[in-house]
Amino acid sequence: MLVFQNKIGKGYVLASTYLCIAVTLLIFLILFWNSYPALSTVGFDLFTMTWNPAKDQFGVLSMLFGTLAVTAIALLIAVPLGILTAIFTSEILPNRYRLYVKSAIELLAGIPSIIYGLIGIALVSPWIATLFELSSGRTLVTAGILLAVMILPTIITLTDDALHNIPQQYRETSKGLGLYPFEIIQKTLVPIAKRNIAGAVLLALGRALGETMAVMLLVGSIDKIPEPFYNLLSPGQTITSKLGREVGESAFGSLHFSALNAIGFLLLLLVITLTIGTQVYMRKGIRTV
Amino acid sequence: MSRALKNNVYNTLIWTAAVLSIAILVFLIATLIWKGMGAISVGFLTSASENFGSEGGILYQIIGSLALTLCAAVCSFPIALGVAIYKSEYVKSKVFQNITDTIIYSLNGIPSIIFGIFGLIFFVNILQTGVSWFVGGIILAMMILPTIILASHQAIRSIPNSYRENAQALGLTQWQVIRAVIFPRGINGAFTGLLLGLARAIGETAPIMFIATAFSGVTVPRTFLEPVSSLPTHILALAQQATNPQALQNAWGSSLVLVSLVFIFSISALVRRIQYSKINY
Repeated sequence: MLVFQNKIGKGYVLASTYLCIAVTLLIFLILFWNSYPALSTVGFDLFTMTWNPAKDQFGVLSMLFGTLAVTAIALLIAVPLGILTAIFTSEILPNRYRLYVKSAIELLAGIPSIIYGLIGIALVSPWIATLFELSSGRTLVTAGILLAVMILPTIITLTDDALHNIPQQYRETSKGLGLYPFEIIQKTLVPIAKRNIAGAVLLALGRALGETMAVMLLVGSIDKIPEPFYNLLSPGQTITSKLGREVGESAFGSLHFSALNAIGFLLLLLVITLTIGTQVYMRKGIRTV
Repeated sequence: MSRALKNNVYNTLIWTAAVLSIAILVFLIATLIWKGMGAISVGFLTSASENFGSEGGILYQIIGSLALTLCAAVCSFPIALGVAIYKSEYVKSKVFQNITDTIIYSLNGIPSIIFGIFGLIFFVNILQTGVSWFVGGIILAMMILPTIILASHQAIRSIPNSYRENAQALGLTQWQVIRAVIFPRGINGAFTGLLLGLARAIGETAPIMFIATAFSGVTVPRTFLEPVSSLPTHILALAQQATNPQALQNAWGSSLVLVSLVFIFSISALVRRIQYSKINY
């Protein structure tokens, strides 16, 4: 009886593990299998400008540009702001408040992206429209700003952890050498936590690339690269917004659907490489003090 | 520039950044509460939506969201616990350990819209299930698996080996050791992870918008294969009619309800984590 139970137990945990592995592989396989028709017929014409399903033209350059532009804007705002704020919560804020502030920030990290989309559409995009005298406030910049706010809590909490995990001795020794507080941060703490801070930024980058709802509502959803390309106050399209807008409308099995799958697969590979790379990078950097 | 001056410049910069970030985050919450309170009433919470959501309430959206989350919880919890136990108690080889880690992190990293497309192809088109809340629940379950696995694995790993050795010395089989020693702690960890996962699942729009939800005319599902409406997709639909002030007001109301649900889950997870971090073996 006991042996039997032992076997059932082992069977259960083993089955769960294989199910989990199978699900992950299945997602990759299904996406690849469905993007195959587009990859084989359209091929390198994917890297052109026009997207016109009626004529079987599927160029993804404008979406790639949109994704990169929006993500870059988001990181440009969120990284400096997030790291400086994390320095504040870890090094300046007294310890007894730190737990509360950190908990609050962690809670904010959980606000669903659709709500950022709503705030963007109801408040931020009208502001952008009046501020820059545009006809519509749905631009690459608007999406980037909202995305920055979305990834800000992630960057703050992870960077704060990285800094706070550095043993107190380092600060005391640096102080003993007569360094100013900013020099302690700049010369001692940041170099030690560098790897983990980079990890935080990469993780945030992964989230930003894959984010759909807020971006879809705010980016304007027009398949073109602005003229000139640095005029980011104009509408664009990202990979995720394209998927969100069109997957529901395209027929299963059509070339159009397959092409959407292909850009989804592209995004998947990009994000997964980034995630796994970050994990490997972080694992190497674990210090034992 | 003298060092003292530099120090002051840095200090100002850090304070400015901190004040700015905290102001942004406070502004977010304040806006949600301020705009949301104006829309919420007992009638709003207990009546069906009318006229494409711009009138009426969000009763069925709340029910739909809860059904999806419940389904996700039921599907993912036992599997995640199993994976965590297998990983910590059975796997000896470092290579397989690394493989499972990589798989779990990849699953965690997959963008939510990809889950939606996967569900649309695999369930709705290949398995011909049609648009249904059950499928939505399964997809959300896949999405939150890694969160639960990692939380539960962490809890199990914190059990000292002497506990396992003592149990084995008493003559227990491996499964009895797991049941008596590993399960209680593992379930606690998994439950904390589940709360975190659900906080994420209930707010997700992209995975369910193609496969689980319909916008109007949906009430309480009677079978497994019926669509529901949910809070996030409702907000999405209303946000697209943002020029209509009535629709916008309902969107704010739904958002406040959604954020409250998310916070209920994540605050309970936070409280549990603080409680259990005090356990010392």
